[in-house]
Amino acid sequence: MTKRIPLIAHNLKRLYTGFLIAAVLLFFVCSYLTNFNIMTLFANGDAFWEFITEDFLPPALPKSSRIPGILSSVLVTLALAVSATTVAAVLAFFVSLFGSEKVSPFPKAAKFVRGFATFLRNIPALVWAFILFSSLGIGTGVGFVALCITSFAFMVRAFVETMEDVSQDCVESLQAVGATFPQRVAQAILPSCLSGFLSWFLYCVELNIRASTIVGMVGGGGVGLTLFSYIKGFQYDIALSIILLIAVMVIVVDRITSKLRKELLK
Amino acid sequence: MTLNSNEAAIRLGWRPAKIKRAARIPVKCRQRNRFIPIFLITVAILSVLSLFYLEIDWAKMASRLPDVGIVFWDLAHLDFSNMDLVSSSLIETVSIAVLSLLYSLVLGIVFGMLAARNVFRVPVLSVITQSFFTFLRAVPTPVWVLLMLVCLGMGPEAGVAGLCVHTTAFFTKSFAQSFESIPDETIEALEATGANRLSIFINAILPAALPQIVAWAGMRLETNFSECAILGMVGTGGIGYVISNSLQGYDYGTAGVAILLVFLVAYCIERVFVRIKKKFS
Repeated sequence: MTKRIPLIAHNLKRLYTGFLIAAVLLFFVCSYLTNFNIMTLFANGDAFWEFITEDFLPPALPKSSRIPGILSSVLVTLALAVSATTVAAVLAFFVSLFGSEKVSPFPKAAKFVRGFATFLRNIPALVWAFILFSSLGIGTGVGFVALCITSFAFMVRAFVETMEDVSQDCVESLQAVGATFPQRVAQAILPSCLSGFLSWFLYCVELNIRASTIVGMVGGGGVGLTLFSYIKGFQYDIALSIILLIAVMVIVVDRITSKLRKELLK
Repeated sequence: MTLNSNEAAIRLGWRPAKIKRAARIPVKCRQRNRFIPIFLITVAILSVLSLFYLEIDWAKMASRLPDVGIVFWDLAHLDFSNMDLVSSSLIETVSIAVLSLLYSLVLGIVFGMLAARNVFRVPVLSVITQSFFTFLRAVPTPVWVLLMLVCLGMGPEAGVAGLCVHTTAFFTKSFAQSFESIPDETIEALEATGANRLSIFINAILPAALPQIVAWAGMRLETNFSECAILGMVGTGGIGYVISNSLQGYDYGTAGVAILLVFLVAYCIERVFVRIKKKFS
């Protein structure tokens, strides 16, 4: 047998073998724990196709009297996402100033600010929505607050990282000449980080369009609620056209934000 | 406070005729992006408009604000009596997240191969695959899970299958990007040796993209876990079901424990991957 030349470095190969073994092990452990078997999907294949071809396709339009309501519910979802993200972004900007050790006037408190944001972020938006539903009642306002909480926490982390990535020389030199905290923020941080902040903001809008659909499903209003009611009412063909509507909405928003991002980072 | 010479001169009533205005060094950056202020103003107007459009009853919400405090106080009284239920559903949730991640990793590599323009060099194929998965990706995960619940019935199958739809769509896009970032020279070199397209993919493109694939998978595990925790609320089992059920049944102690565990697991996953990322870079 001829001696083969290894194509990748030895230690890298070991690393990937480790990953592969871990993946296979995890696969078996998890399959055992959930009793999940991919074959059941194939065994149910007939029912699956039947569902898709008979109930699901072709997409049907709802009654024409319902259409304006559905369109306005799309608007509610969009409005919810945009306004919640903006409010959260403004709050997150001020809080993130205190979350970075190099910028904050109280460097010792920065850890706590970041820890608080981590706590808020790692609990999904829907859990927040449920906690708030049980205290504030069901409604659009609660969806708004729930979206605000998670996007606020997400943006605090993103903004702090943006500020720490940007060179700190400017902040330090301003500090050296005796600039006050607001001056440092306005003259050093804002000009250098603003486009970064805005691009995170746009990303968060994209995330929130999806999240507000989901929050709507459990009672936050908007197009999610409409979709949920059709699915619960077994009207899957109408549900499909609403799903298509949601997809169009998300794709259009993604297109717009990516255009805007290019323009902002120019 | 120090006054600069011009101001002092004016205050004292001198004519600053001979004193030329001190040339100032411009601090402002000249090449500022003109677009940013326009963008900021538009966003502000849009959000104010949408806030009005939503017609949120702020007064009612404000009047119920004390209730929020009460709920959080109740949640903080952790009740460990249902611990076996909570822990078993947490394990189920984590396993669903991991399983859907692994299945979609495989599917994502296959479809990413079809979607990347440089693997088979059939533009029609990659355009069709990409647009199909763009559609799948645009629809939020719970919608897919709800539909899977309808066809497959309750249980982890619906959760795994529903999560897989979105995760595969995500992986297809990001893997295709990683595959396309492989330099053309490598591929051409292998083409020159007469290797067929599949073996080019397996021997050149896939190994080169592996670090990125691992990074994407790590990033996705975080998302999948939180999605999975959500899914219980729309009908599949798992920790989300425990949370929503106990919140609706005013069993705040159990809900508090479950929420705390969700937070801890999400936090641990995040920390582990921050570590791994640091090691890689």
